[in-house]
Amino acid sequence: MTDPAVANHLAQTMAAPLASTKMTVRDLHFYYNGFHALKGINMEVPEKKVTAIIGPSGCGKSTLLRIFNRIYAIYPKLEAKGEIVLDGENILDPGYSMNRLRSKVGMVFQKPVPFPMTIFENVAYGIRHHEKLSKPDMDGRVEQALRSAALWDEVKDKLKQNALGLSGGQQQRLCIARAIALRPEVLLLDEPTSALDPIATSRIEQLVEELKNEFTIVIVTHNMQQAARCSDLTAFMYMGELIEFDRTEKIFTKPGKKQTEDYITGRFG
Amino acid sequence: MSAQPGTIAPPMVVEQRTRRDARQELFFRWLLKGCALLVLASLLGAAGATLWGGREAFAKFGWHFLVSTAWDPGNDVYGALVPVYGTIVTSLIALLIAVPVSFGIALYLSEVAPAWLRTPVSSAIELLAGIPSIIYGMWGLFVFAPFFSAHIKPWLTNNLGNKPDDGKLSWVAQHVPFIGKLFGSDYPFGASILVAGIVLAIMIVPFISSVMREVFQTVPTRLKESAYALGSSTWEVSWDIVLPYTRSAVIGGIFLGLGRALGETMAVAFIIGNSMTFSASLLDPGTSIASTIANQFSEASGLQKSSLMALAFLLFVVTFIVLLIARLMLRQLKRKEGN
Repeated sequence: MTDPAVANHLAQTMAAPLASTKMTVRDLHFYYNGFHALKGINMEVPEKKVTAIIGPSGCGKSTLLRIFNRIYAIYPKLEAKGEIVLDGENILDPGYSMNRLRSKVGMVFQKPVPFPMTIFENVAYGIRHHEKLSKPDMDGRVEQALRSAALWDEVKDKLKQNALGLSGGQQQRLCIARAIALRPEVLLLDEPTSALDPIATSRIEQLVEELKNEFTIVIVTHNMQQAARCSDLTAFMYMGELIEFDRTEKIFTKPGKKQTEDYITGRFG
Repeated sequence: MSAQPGTIAPPMVVEQRTRRDARQELFFRWLLKGCALLVLASLLGAAGATLWGGREAFAKFGWHFLVSTAWDPGNDVYGALVPVYGTIVTSLIALLIAVPVSFGIALYLSEVAPAWLRTPVSSAIELLAGIPSIIYGMWGLFVFAPFFSAHIKPWLTNNLGNKPDDGKLSWVAQHVPFIGKLFGSDYPFGASILVAGIVLAIMIVPFISSVMREVFQTVPTRLKESAYALGSSTWEVSWDIVLPYTRSAVIGGIFLGLGRALGETMAVAFIIGNSMTFSASLLDPGTSIASTIANQFSEASGLQKSSLMALAFLLFVVTFIVLLIARLMLRQLKRKEGN
């Protein structure tokens, strides 16, 4: 850090302008069964960048992610207050169509969960909810999604086989293909590699790097190296609060808050 | 003989122990095998005994026994078609009603109902399964059949049947084949194949719905959330994800209910009307295999008794065919899914 060259480089990257804001979170509070889980979150998620959310277990990072597509709303007694503005509209507004939100914001979960269907159907399933496509168009869309998820070459000869026959890493890439097949604008990844081995993990990280050319990505991870490796910005959360949100280089080299520094240097969490 | 603490047991002790373990292992395996064989033996025994008991009837009537509608103890001529038809049709009606209702109950309890409501309703369903069938039979005979005959049957015969009270055939009866026959009736009372089917449906709903509810709860949350995240509605998640994921168990539950419907005796004997005269109409009285046996066995002898035994054997065959169809269906569905 004392090396003037390094300092200079960091200063330069930090000075580079950020892309425009895709999603703005304003004074977001979240409650479940009366428990105050998120306490006034404010953040701006830039377009076509990877934003990582880190923090110890129970800090609210997954909760925050699950508000971005309102998946929490399938359960009773959960309540979000505040605003999340996506392309100028507040997605927490009850009038905002759930269908439209889910087609704009895709999500991939911790454990790979392919549907009990063929590989082809796994990808086509979501598309059918939003668009009526002819057979050749659908074939094209499925292929495109599988290619984008770097899975096509491995599965092109067994599209009619059950998806549960794939390895864990392949299954997770299938889940990514399934999510991007809807052509969302934002892609939420909830600890996408926590159930995978190191090789499968690095493939997913590579994929995230490629996907950010097309999508705005928000990734929740408990793995700090992962955040450092593949994100442009990092948010550190603790006890339901957003402690610090800045460029990844800055968070990991000279964090502005004591708590952030303690966490990334492994003093707690 | 025992080894000192901290020392290794002498080879002889180890060998004895090994031999004893091997003996016990062998004994245990045979015990388990015996238990499993007991099931097979009782199945074969029951099938064999009924086949043996029915040999006279089979020998006398041959294949004709299966397709004949005659049941005439006066002339000693017997055929199985009327009770077989009654058995299959009542069970089909029961399934047609009970499967969708059970699916709804199970989905409601596992996906939609608030947590505080789930336990009481589930217990209520299990209680329903515990009610003796004779009570359903009494309710059917004294409460439901009169109500049916007063309020539902006239509408069915007039709008769907080919024997309407006012003599004017409805559009449905004129234009849709078979429907007229199924709903045409001039029998004045409620007891009928349809009423038996409806009461059977009520009886098997608890079985099917409690099996469905249990297996629906085994569907991983993440799987459902993934489908919701793609924009699926609750119905789509249930139909496209929950049901395929639990399919074998669901079909198992349905066939558990069907098995009960096929063999149900007392309730059916109360409400099916016990007529040995063939009528395709669902609103006419009929009979089922089990209720025919229950009604006639005490007074039967000779060829009639043998014919009742042959009927019992046919009940085995029907059940067996039904299970076979279930297996084939399951295999077909699995193939479609790419397994």
